[in-house]
Amino acid sequence: MKLLIVEDEQGLRESIEEYFAEAGNVCETASTYAEALSKVSMYRYDCILLDITIPGGNGIDLLKNIKQQEYNDGILIISAKNSLDDRLEGLDLGADDYLVKPFHLSELRARVSAIIRRKSFNGSNILLFHEIAIDLMAKSIKVKDQPVKLTRKEYALLLYFVANKGKVVSKNAIAEHLWGDGIDMANNFDFIYSHIKNLRKKLLEAGSNDYIHAAYGMGYKFTDQ
Amino acid sequence: MKLLSKYNRVTLLSTIVIMLFTGIIYYVAIKLILIEDIDKDLAVEENEIFEYVKVNHALPQVFESEYQQIIFQEAKPGSVKREFVDTLYRNIPYSHHGRHHRHEEFESGRGLISVVTAGNKTYRVLIVKSTVETEDLLKIIFGITAGVILLLLLVLLISNRLLLNRLWQPFHNLLKELRSFKLSDAGAIALSETNIDEFKELNQAVVAMASRVKSDYTDLKTFTENASHELLTPIAVINSKLDTLLQTENFSPQQSKLLNDLYSAVSRLTRLNQSLILLVKIENRLVEGHQPVNLKAEIEDIAMQFEEIFNDKQIALKTDLSDKHLETNLYLVEILLNNLFSNAIRHNYQGGIVNIILRENELVIENSGDADALQPEKVFKRFNKSTNSEGSGLGLTISKQICENLGFDLSYFFNNGLHTFKVSF
Repeated sequence: MKLLIVEDEQGLRESIEEYFAEAGNVCETASTYAEALSKVSMYRYDCILLDITIPGGNGIDLLKNIKQQEYNDGILIISAKNSLDDRLEGLDLGADDYLVKPFHLSELRARVSAIIRRKSFNGSNILLFHEIAIDLMAKSIKVKDQPVKLTRKEYALLLYFVANKGKVVSKNAIAEHLWGDGIDMANNFDFIYSHIKNLRKKLLEAGSNDYIHAAYGMGYKFTDQ
Repeated sequence: MKLLSKYNRVTLLSTIVIMLFTGIIYYVAIKLILIEDIDKDLAVEENEIFEYVKVNHALPQVFESEYQQIIFQEAKPGSVKREFVDTLYRNIPYSHHGRHHRHEEFESGRGLISVVTAGNKTYRVLIVKSTVETEDLLKIIFGITAGVILLLLLVLLISNRLLLNRLWQPFHNLLKELRSFKLSDAGAIALSETNIDEFKELNQAVVAMASRVKSDYTDLKTFTENASHELLTPIAVINSKLDTLLQTENFSPQQSKLLNDLYSAVSRLTRLNQSLILLVKIENRLVEGHQPVNLKAEIEDIAMQFEEIFNDKQIALKTDLSDKHLETNLYLVEILLNNLFSNAIRHNYQGGIVNIILRENELVIENSGDADALQPEKVFKRFNKSTNSEGSGLGLTISKQICENLGFDLSYFFNNGLHTFKVSF
C-alpha cells in the first residue's frame, strides 16, 4: 500500500513511517502544508494520514482540497484536538476515520487497514490470511472453509492481529482497542490472555496454523513465520 | 443593622431633639411676650385707678369683669411693695341671667400689687387678670408644634424608606448580580442604569473587577487547555516510540518489565491529559447537541463492555433497570456512565458488588468498597482521590460537571456500607 504521512512532529512521523515500512508498502511523508499539497496534487495514495495542525495551513483545508479534486484517497485524520466538532467536520468533509493523539501504532495500522480494505475490495468483503477467511460484512470467519464461531471481541481481536501481522502488539494496545477507556480499572490484563487463549484454541481446533505468539510478556505477535 | 435603620435612628433622633428644643424656645418666648402684654394692661389699669383717685380722692367702684378683678385692702403705708406676681384668678362664672353661680373656679392669673392712697388711707391694690387665654394660646401653639413634629417624623420615616429603597436599588441589583456571579458563565454582569455617581463608580469598579477576574480565569483555562494539548504531542511520540521499541525484539525479562511499566505510566498520563481537556471542554460548555438517548440500552451496553473487568475482579453486578428515555447529549451521557462504572469498579474490592438501579427519575450506582464513607463535599473536587487509586482524580469532577451541564443532579451518600452515587434527572 502507498501512504502519505502528513505530520509535522518528526518523532511521530518517523515512528509511523518505520511501523508501516515493510515489503510492498510505500510511505511518503510531508511535514508542512505546502509539501503535503504538492504531493497530493501529484500522486495518489491508498491512504493519507493527515494531521490537522500542520505548519503553513490546516489539515482540514487539505482535506477539502483533496475532496474537491474528487481524488479517491483514503483519509485518516490524526489530531491532538479531541474535539467533537473537528471530528464531525472531518468526517462530514469525507475523511474516512479520525484518530486522536496519542495512539498506539497498532491501532493506527488497524484503522488504516480498515480504510484501505473498504476502498479496495470493491464489493468483495473477504479478507484472507492463509487458511483464514474473514467476512467483513457478516463479521464471521471461516478456517479452511469451515465456519468458526467467534465472540464479538474475539472477532475484533483477530482483525486487529491480521492488520498488525508480523508486529508485536502490546497488551495495552489490545486492551484499549477492545475495551476502550474503561480498561484502566482492571487489576491486570489476565482477561485479555483468556480471550487470546480462546481465539487461538478455536483457530487451532478448526485446523489453522498457530499464528499467535506471546512476546516477552508484553504483548502478542501474529505472524506466519 | 441596616443602613436605613441606622440612618433613620440618627435623623429621627436629631429631628426630635431639635424640634423639642425649638418648641421649648417657642414656648418660653411666646409666654414672655404674652406676660409682658398682660403686665402692660395691668399697669394701664393701675394708672386708671391712680387717675381716678387723684381726681376723686376716693377709690373707684370695683366692677367684677370676666377677665379682671381689682381688690382694695387697707394697708399700712410702706408695708406694700409694688410688684407683678403670678397668682390665681378666682373665676366666678356668670350665668346668662347675671346671677352668681355657687361654685368658683380658680384659674391661673397674673396680678399687680400696688399701693394707692385715697383720702388719708393707704390701700393695697391687687389687680388680677386671668391668663387662661394665654395658656390656651400656648397650648394651641404647643399642640401645633408637636403636631408638626409628628408629621415631620412620619414624613421623614416614609420618605426615607421609599427614597432610600429606591436610591439603593442599583446597589441591591448589583448585589444580586454578584451573588449569582459564576466564573465559568460567559455573560457579563448586567447592571441597572443609575444616575448616582457613587453607584456608577461602584458599578464600573465591579464590572472592571469581574472582567479582570474572568479574563484571568480564561487565561488560566486557556493555559490548561493549551498545556494539555501541547502535552499530547510528546505523549504521542513517547507512545509511538514505545510501540516501535517493542518491535526490536529480544528483550530480557527485566527489560520487558520496564517496558510494561512505561506503557502503563504513559497510558495513565494519556488518560489524565485527556480528562483535563475534556473537563475544560465541558466546563466551557463546548460539547453540544441533543439526541434521543435510551438510557437503559446505554447502561446494558456498558455493562457488557465491562463484563470482563467485572469478572476479573469477581464483582457481582446486579442491575434493576426500567425504561428511561432522555433527550440529551449522548456523548456526555456515555462519558458519565463510563466514569460512574469505572468508579464503582476501581474503588471496589475483589469479590465486591455493584448495584445499578435505573428508575424514572434517578439512576443509582452502588458499590462496595472502603468501609468508611467519603466526605460528600470533597468527593467531586479535582484530584481528590484515595491514595491507592490509579484513576486520574478527575472522573467524578467530570461526572459532576456533566450532570450540571445536562441539568441533572449528582449526589453521593454512604448507605448500608455501600458507596452510592445518584443521578437525579
